[in-house]
Amino acid sequence: MNQIERIVDLIARKENFCLATVIASSNPDAPAGTKAIVLVDGTMEGSVGPAHMDRALQTLAMQALADGQKHAVQLAEGFRVFLDLPPADLKLLICGAGHIAVPLARFAREAGFSVTVLDDRADFAHPSRFPGCEVIAEDFTTALRKMSLDPAAYVVVITRGHEHDAQCLTEILPKVTAYVGLIGSRRRGRFVLEALGRKGIPAGRLGEVFTPIGLPIGAESPEEIALSIAAELVCMRRKGALTARALRSLEAGK
Amino acid sequence: MTTQEIFRKLAELQANGIPACLATITETAGSTPREPGAKMIVCADGAIYGSVGGGCGENQARSAALRCLLKTKAPELLEVDLNDDLGVKGGDVCGGKMWIFVEPFRPH
Repeated sequence: MNQIERIVDLIARKENFCLATVIASSNPDAPAGTKAIVLVDGTMEGSVGPAHMDRALQTLAMQALADGQKHAVQLAEGFRVFLDLPPADLKLLICGAGHIAVPLARFAREAGFSVTVLDDRADFAHPSRFPGCEVIAEDFTTALRKMSLDPAAYVVVITRGHEHDAQCLTEILPKVTAYVGLIGSRRRGRFVLEALGRKGIPAGRLGEVFTPIGLPIGAESPEEIALSIAAELVCMRRKGALTARALRSLEAGK
Repeated sequence: MTTQEIFRKLAELQANGIPACLATITETAGSTPREPGAKMIVCADGAIYGSVGGGCGENQARSAALRCLLKTKAPELLEVDLNDDLGVKGGDVCGGKMWIFVEPFRPH
């Protein structure tokens, strides 16, 4: 495995690591372009010169990993290294493969999400409708029980009916996720969440569900709604839940 | 394009024997269209994957990559001023400065 393949492998396994690249050098033994990978535990793969230079780099790389700050550092006169922190792909799970899911999957993919689409109807959950996505045609409950969701996962629930929405949320909400959004009017959302509350899902967790879904931009067509959902996902990712909720409350005042 | 897709593309180009350059924003000052870590791949035919912010700045990175692939074969640390006359005329009015590291990847 060469260095690039190793990087692909680390990102795919969601490992945090620092990719150090020499960007300015007068040392022929470590010319510009030389790379080393530093893992969270300090393990160093590759070298940027003599041992003391590697040790200095290792310390700085571990610091960068701890702070989450990518930046360029000067290790010696005329010797600069860029400490990059390649991010793992963000995961988006779309439950429901209908009219909104098609443009949503496309927008989200282009915004940097790796997208999985799930529906129990094989003609809707069909790979031809979702290029570049993982597509699962299976019963919602069965598929979600098998699926591992992690705290970095974004989940959008846009099935064709509230029974299916409730089925999905029953499996999703006990797990920790970065975001859960539920389609539907305020009333339908409340109806589904109240039913889940009666089934024992804590009110605090139900309160985290974004419903109605999407930023309030007056979206009407499936594409517009997909855009408003994609915008909410970007807002969650870049600015966090507080801002995403604040933007919604602009509309709630009406 | 995600970072993972960029590196996967780079690995694929390498495996297929196609030389390519990787351009990475390493530092920024003032307002810039993208942050450090943003990446773009440039192939010798001018094809690009990913983006370092579009506009004239990106075009300078593309030119540097082609220069590297077709002539110098050596990496280059490019300073892009988004405030100069050419930039303003071309629509790059972010006003900041960025440094882009351009490095060649040769097939195995």
